[in-house]
Amino acid sequence: MSTPQLVEHFFRHEYGRLVATLCRRVGAQHIEVVEDAVQSALMAALESWTVSGAPDNPSAWLFRVAHNDVVGHLRQRTRRRRLLEQYTKEAIDTGEKGSELFLAQEVQDDLLRMLFVCCDEGIPEPSQLVLALKTLCGFDIREIALRLFISEANVYKRLARARSQLRKFPPRTDGPSEAQITSRLPAVRKILYLLFTEGYLSSHAETAIRRELCNEAIRLTSILAEHPLGQTPETFALLALMHLHAARMPARQDGAGGLVLLEEQDRDLWDREEIQVGLALLARSAHGDVFSRYHAEAGIAAEHCLAPSLQETRWDKVVEFYSLLERSAPSPMHKLNRAVAVAEWKGPAAGLEVLDGFEPPTWLVRSYIWSAVLADLHRRCGNAELANRYRKLACKAAPTSAVKQLLQHRLQINKQTIPRYG
Amino acid sequence: MPKYLCMQRNLPGGESRKPSPAEMQEMYSKFRAWQEKFQANLVDMGGKLGAGKLVTESAADGPFVEVKELVGGYMILSAQSLDEAITVARAFPGLVHPGSGVEVIEIRTA
Repeated sequence: MSTPQLVEHFFRHEYGRLVATLCRRVGAQHIEVVEDAVQSALMAALESWTVSGAPDNPSAWLFRVAHNDVVGHLRQRTRRRRLLEQYTKEAIDTGEKGSELFLAQEVQDDLLRMLFVCCDEGIPEPSQLVLALKTLCGFDIREIALRLFISEANVYKRLARARSQLRKFPPRTDGPSEAQITSRLPAVRKILYLLFTEGYLSSHAETAIRRELCNEAIRLTSILAEHPLGQTPETFALLALMHLHAARMPARQDGAGGLVLLEEQDRDLWDREEIQVGLALLARSAHGDVFSRYHAEAGIAAEHCLAPSLQETRWDKVVEFYSLLERSAPSPMHKLNRAVAVAEWKGPAAGLEVLDGFEPPTWLVRSYIWSAVLADLHRRCGNAELANRYRKLACKAAPTSAVKQLLQHRLQINKQTIPRYG
Repeated sequence: MPKYLCMQRNLPGGESRKPSPAEMQEMYSKFRAWQEKFQANLVDMGGKLGAGKLVTESAADGPFVEVKELVGGYMILSAQSLDEAITVARAFPGLVHPGSGVEVIEIRTA
């Protein structure tokens, strides 16, 4: 007897699928009962499959076990209240009829529906993100804390807020309406974007962990992009930018886990296939008259992917996209990035000019990024004293040793370029 | 070859945190590797133990020990010696829950 191999992330993805499907059947207000049942079903699978082998259809097995558990719980609860709640009864009835039947499309629909449930207007954004990681990606509280750099208590608090909102859900089982889906699309895209950037920009030492978040974001965004209601130019632009960034991930870290400057990255390591997928999506996003921040960011990422070297990058195009980005999503960070691109295009003095008279908010002043850019631009302009001052500030504010090393390396080497995280 | 009864016991004060789906996946993979490695020793993978009664001449009573609390499951190994059986049992991945142990007992048939 041998125990069969299961696909990568089987347990985590089954968790997301089961929570989504069961929440649709019994209503998201029962999410706690659902999550407990799914957890138990997975545990039962682990114990039973390792002893007697996995069943022919592991997903159906899991569904049956989790479903029976949920139904049992809800029945008990209903009995206890001596109130036969119509919705529970209905859910149980329909559930039993179709417990074996689910099609791939239905699963995709369920996951998408759950994503929209997570982005309910009544749930604060930080809680939306945590709820999505918990329910759709199957991470537990400890794993989420590790990935978002927050305490477990904080994760728990955010999750509790989300759940208390879900409990207020009307006793209906069919989830958000089409109109709600359309109006919630921007919020859903924002959460997917956050999920991706948490993985992409974080300076977490472990590449695998960061890559995992990016992959999850791509997986969920792909589901959105395949769904008739989610197929908008902005969704395609978002997915394009994820693929274009993911393409460069293999070159962003050296063997020791340190970050590698864009100019020093081995461009042969960039994933050509990912770039092609990204560019095809970018082409699909160029419809209609909406130009979103995702379009601008995907455009910037595409310019980097297409440039044969840092020097041959079309910096004028990059600057143009940053200007568009500032317009569609004003942020001091985008201005700073534009200054960096202008410095590449027209020289460091022109870069500093962009920041002339600009009063950055405190959070930016305190971050290493602000000091690092100024240190570099001043160094290249020959303002040694200012450059030195900003370099010290940048190193002091560096959040991790990987970043600190990168800064020390970048701000001392005598090259006519600027620090960029590829 | 002598056979050994292995009983998984939950130790008092053991960690009771539920494993996450990702951890379950890891446990599953480790289990597969363990099974492959010791294929020759695995006679009967056994199973979990449920409710029970103590049966005597006069009645069926009990159980007097809370089986569920003491024993998670059993299996039967074959090995040249108790030491070899212990080696196989010790490599049992995570012993399913951290904070549990396996009792290895020789089955004497001759």
